[in-house]
Amino acid sequence: MSEEKVLQGVDISVIITASVRQKKSDVEKLYNIYKKSLEEAGVSYEFIYVTDDHSESTLGVLQQLQQRGENIKIVKLTRWFGDASALNIGFEEASGKLILTLPAFQQVHEKEIPEIIRSFKDTDMIIARRIRKKDHIFQQIQAKIFHFLVKLIIGMHYQDLGCRVRLFKREVLEHINLYGDQIRFFPLLANKYGFRVTEKEVEQNQSDALHRVYSIAHYTERIVDLISIFFIIKFTKKPLRFFGFPGFVIFSLGILLLLYQFYQRVFLDIALADKPMVLVSILLIVFGIQLFAIGLVAEIIIFTHSKDSKDYIVEEVIGGKRQEIKKIQTPQVEEEV
Amino acid sequence: MDLSIVIPVMNEEASVKPLYQAIVQAVDPLNIKYEIILVDDGSTDNTVANATLLSEKDERLKIIKLKRNYGQTIGLYAGFQEAKGKIVVTMDGDLQNDPSDIETMMEKINEGYDIVLGWRHDRKDYLLSRKIPSKIANWLISKVTGVPVKDNGCAIRAYRGEIVKRFPMYSEMHRLMPVITALSGARFAQIKVKHHERKFGKSKYGLSRIYKVLIDMIALKIIFAFFHLPLYGFGIFALISAIISLLIFLVGLYNVFTTPDFSMVTSMGSSILFASLSMFLLFLGIISEMTYKSGDIKIEKLLRFRKLKINQEYNV
Repeated sequence: MSEEKVLQGVDISVIITASVRQKKSDVEKLYNIYKKSLEEAGVSYEFIYVTDDHSESTLGVLQQLQQRGENIKIVKLTRWFGDASALNIGFEEASGKLILTLPAFQQVHEKEIPEIIRSFKDTDMIIARRIRKKDHIFQQIQAKIFHFLVKLIIGMHYQDLGCRVRLFKREVLEHINLYGDQIRFFPLLANKYGFRVTEKEVEQNQSDALHRVYSIAHYTERIVDLISIFFIIKFTKKPLRFFGFPGFVIFSLGILLLLYQFYQRVFLDIALADKPMVLVSILLIVFGIQLFAIGLVAEIIIFTHSKDSKDYIVEEVIGGKRQEIKKIQTPQVEEEV
Repeated sequence: MDLSIVIPVMNEEASVKPLYQAIVQAVDPLNIKYEIILVDDGSTDNTVANATLLSEKDERLKIIKLKRNYGQTIGLYAGFQEAKGKIVVTMDGDLQNDPSDIETMMEKINEGYDIVLGWRHDRKDYLLSRKIPSKIANWLISKVTGVPVKDNGCAIRAYRGEIVKRFPMYSEMHRLMPVITALSGARFAQIKVKHHERKFGKSKYGLSRIYKVLIDMIALKIIFAFFHLPLYGFGIFALISAIISLLIFLVGLYNVFTTPDFSMVTSMGSSILFASLSMFLLFLGIISEMTYKSGDIKIEKLLRFRKLKINQEYNV
C-alpha cells in the first residue's frame, strides 16, 4: 500500500463480513446505527461490506443504500471461504488509516463504538470485551471454558475472542497472514508478532444475548482451530523440539520393552511367538520413528525456507547516515503449519 | 565500509554509553571506516532513548528498534540485514566482551579465515548456572557435529561480511552459527578473548537451553549429513526397515513350517508395521526433496560458494 493512498484515504474503514449462514440483523437498520456511532466519534469513514448473500434483503438493500449516495463498497463473493479470508478481501479495498471490523449483528451497545475509537491511543489494536450480563448462563460458562483453554494452551489471556468489534492499525493486517476461520484468534497472532493488543470492556447489546447451543461439529472445529493456532504460535520455528522429544521417548520405550522380552526369551526361556507385548514394542518403535521423522521434515521445510519467513517487525531505524526516522516495511509472512 | 559491529541489546540502559565509548576507543585508532548497529530487542527501559542521544552526535551509530522482544537470533539477523561492512563483528551489549579484541579478530579475517570465534578462556560467571551447562553444551556440540568449537556461547565473533547474510537464522541458530559455517566448509579460527564481570543488569539465559541446543544441533547434523539429497537420506532408512520387515516375514514363515502350532500374529504384525514405516519414510523423503527444491537455502550452494572463495581469494 503506497503512502499516498493512505494519506488520501479516510480515518476509519469499517469492514463488515456477513455470510449467508451467519446470524445477522436487518441490514439497513444496522447500517444506520453504525453510521450514527461513527459520526458521533467525529471521524471520516467508509463502509466495506463483504458478503456472499445475494438475496434481496442483504445485497438488494446494500445496493439501494449505495444508490442513495452512502459511502459503501460492496464486495460480492461467490463462495464463503471463512471470515478471515473475507476480512482480507475487504482489507484490499480499504483506504483507512485504521480498520474497524464490525459483526453483521449488533454485539456491543452502539454507544460503545465512539468510546472505542476515542480510546485508541498508544496501542496497535483494541478488542472489545463484552460484559456478559445479558447472556444466558450456559453461554457464559461456555465462553469461560473456551478462554481458559486458550490461556492454558497458548498462554495468552484474553477474555472475549468471540467479539468481532476490533479496531486496529492497517499495518497489523499487512503483517499477519490470516486465513480460513482464524479470525477468532487474530488478537493472539497480532500479539505474537509484537503488536500491542488491549482489551476494552464494553456493554453488550440485547440482540447479542441469545441462548445458543451449537452442534458438536462447531465445538470440534473450534478445538482444531485452537490446536492449529497453538502450532503456529509455538512451534513453527522449532518443530523438531516439539516432535523430537516425544518421538525419542516413545522410541526408547519400545526398545526397552523389546530388550526385556528378548531377555525373557533368551535367559528365562519364555516363548515370544504369540505374545502381544512384542507387537506393542514394535508399534512404539515405529511410532517413535514416525514422530521424529515428521519433526525432521518440518525442520527441513523451515531450514530451507527460513529466508522467506522473516517474522519480525522493525519498528524504526534511528541514526546512521540518514538522520530522519524511517519506517521499514517487511514482507508479508507466510506461516507453515 | 570496513567494519560493522552488530550488538543486540535488551534492557541495557546503563551499559549503552560505556559500551559505545569502549568501542570508539578501541576501533578509532585502527583508522578504518566502521559502523555500530545496536539492535534493540524490545527493551522496556531507556535503552533506546540513551542510544538515540548518542546517535545524534555520531552518525556511525545506528539503532534498529524491533517491535518486541524476539530473542538474540532475530536480533542478530535484523542487524545483519543492515550491516554494510566487509567484516561483521557481533558482541553482547552487557560489557562482558571487550572491544579491544576486535583488532585481533580483524587481523585473523584478513589472514583468510571466514569466521573468528572468541573463546572466553577465563570466564567470569557463576560456575553452576552458567559455566557448567555451557561446558556440557560445548562438549555435546563438538562430539555430535565433529566441529571442535571450544565456546559456542561466546558472543564476540567476527565474520566475513558476505557470510552473515546467507545463513538460515531461525529459532536459536545463532548459537550454532560456527557449526553451520564450519559444516558448510568455512575456515574458522578461535582466539582467546577477555571477559569481564557483569556490571549492570541481569543475565538473561537459563539452564533449559541445553535441550534446545541439543535438538537444534541434531536437526542440523542430520540436515547436513543427508539432505543435500533428502530422498537418499530418508531412502536409506526406508530400505533398512523394508529389509527388517522382510526378515521378520521370512522368520515367521519358517516357524510356521517347522513348528506345528505356531501363531503368526506377532511376526506378521511386526512385518507389516515395518513395511508401513518403510513406505512412510519413503513418502517423507519425497516431500522433503520437494520442499528442498523449492527452498532458497541449498547446502550444495553454500559448499560451492566456499570452494570458489578458496580458489579465488586465498590462493592468490
